[in-house]
Amino acid sequence: MSQLYDLKVLIETTIKDKGMDSAQVRGEIALKAGRLLSFISPTTPDDPAGVAKLKQAIKEVLNINA
Amino acid sequence: MNYKSIQAKVLIALVVCLVLGTGCVVGLMHYFTVQNSRGLATEAATGSQKLFTILEAREVSKMTAVSDALVINTQVRDAFTARDRSRLLALTAPLYPQLKSEGITNWMFHTSEPDMSVFLRLHNPAKFGDHLNRFFDKEVARTHAIVSGNELAKAGFAVRIIRPVYDSKGAVTGYVELGEELGQFMRAMKSQTGDDYGLLLNKKFVNKQFWSDSSATLKRRDNWDDNAGFVVADRTTVNDNIIKFQGDLATVPEDGSVLEQYQDGSSVFVRAIFPIRDAAGNTVGAMFVVRDITAVYTTMRKTQNILLVLTFVSLSGGILIMLTLLNRFIFKRLKHILTAATRLVGGDFETEIKTDSEDEVGQLEQLFEQFRNIFVSVLADISATQAPK
Repeated sequence: MSQLYDLKVLIETTIKDKGMDSAQVRGEIALKAGRLLSFISPTTPDDPAGVAKLKQAIKEVLNINA
Repeated sequence: MNYKSIQAKVLIALVVCLVLGTGCVVGLMHYFTVQNSRGLATEAATGSQKLFTILEAREVSKMTAVSDALVINTQVRDAFTARDRSRLLALTAPLYPQLKSEGITNWMFHTSEPDMSVFLRLHNPAKFGDHLNRFFDKEVARTHAIVSGNELAKAGFAVRIIRPVYDSKGAVTGYVELGEELGQFMRAMKSQTGDDYGLLLNKKFVNKQFWSDSSATLKRRDNWDDNAGFVVADRTTVNDNIIKFQGDLATVPEDGSVLEQYQDGSSVFVRAIFPIRDAAGNTVGAMFVVRDITAVYTTMRKTQNILLVLTFVSLSGGILIMLTLLNRFIFKRLKHILTAATRLVGGDFETEIKTDSEDEVGQLEQLFEQFRNIFVSVLADISATQAPK
């Protein structure tokens, strides 16, 4: 599985655990990361820049270090 | 609050408008208060000057009428022509108290030129034979006509008239002079206007010894050394504020001028000045006028405060209404679009933005809704393409 997909799973788990508004939080992260989370699948290839941007977005929105 | 937002910038701009608007009103009100105070002081100066002129003319007219009656009195005329001082005193002394009660405090008979000495002083019969040598004496000797105006004598600074007395053959046998002290004028003016007055004389026109003698005659303190350039001839108040003056009395404008506005305790006063001329036309001094403007000033300040509060309240109300309208018609709707866009990207394809507004934000809402529909449609197509067959 790709690193991007792992991060997507982390996001969804955190949203579920914290009872957050899923669409809102996913939207904020997607806008900051510059990619739609819906399009990230286990086979999505990693690219270092995309991973870094998604990690940064997670940190800013969810305040956790991925 | 996000200080980069338009909402914050608009709020800051409106607060600046509020401060500027209130500041402008305060400035304007202060300007009007100063102008009104100055107007009151100007009115005090011009009004008092006119009143002084009217009183002067009225008293000159009265003294002229009295002198008319005197010079046609053959007994008085004959006694004066005969230089019979005792008889002249006997004839005129009974009249003096009555004239004095009318304000005519100075009454003199002068011999004719070239001697022109004082033959009889009704207000001081024991003193006679002296030469006054004033402009008045020279002018009446030159013209043999009535001369009137203000003149300083040992009995004080007074408005006087002097006129020739003719004997039975029509020759000038001497002169009769009547005078009223200006101090009486000031008290009469005070009773009419409520203002306080102070009369200052330029030392250039007053002889020190003469002033000292005059002070002794009037039984007042010799105040010659109190001030450098002038002496205080009279005043209607003991308050020294009325006579504070640093300039040159000779330069006081013809129509008078406003000196200052000042506070004494809880009272507010304006002070003005107008010139006083003697019979020769010299500006020998000035009359100071002090008007209590406390009532008017208090009313102006009260009005100022009411206007200030009204301005602040109305501007604040206007700002509140404007912010409410901006929030309702712009900021709230923009925030809704932002939220919908974010949720759309987050996978919520159901949040529609319904609008029937045709304003600028309404056009943006319609555009967003069209974009949302296209976006959802594209995503559905992509999902169908990627779905396992």
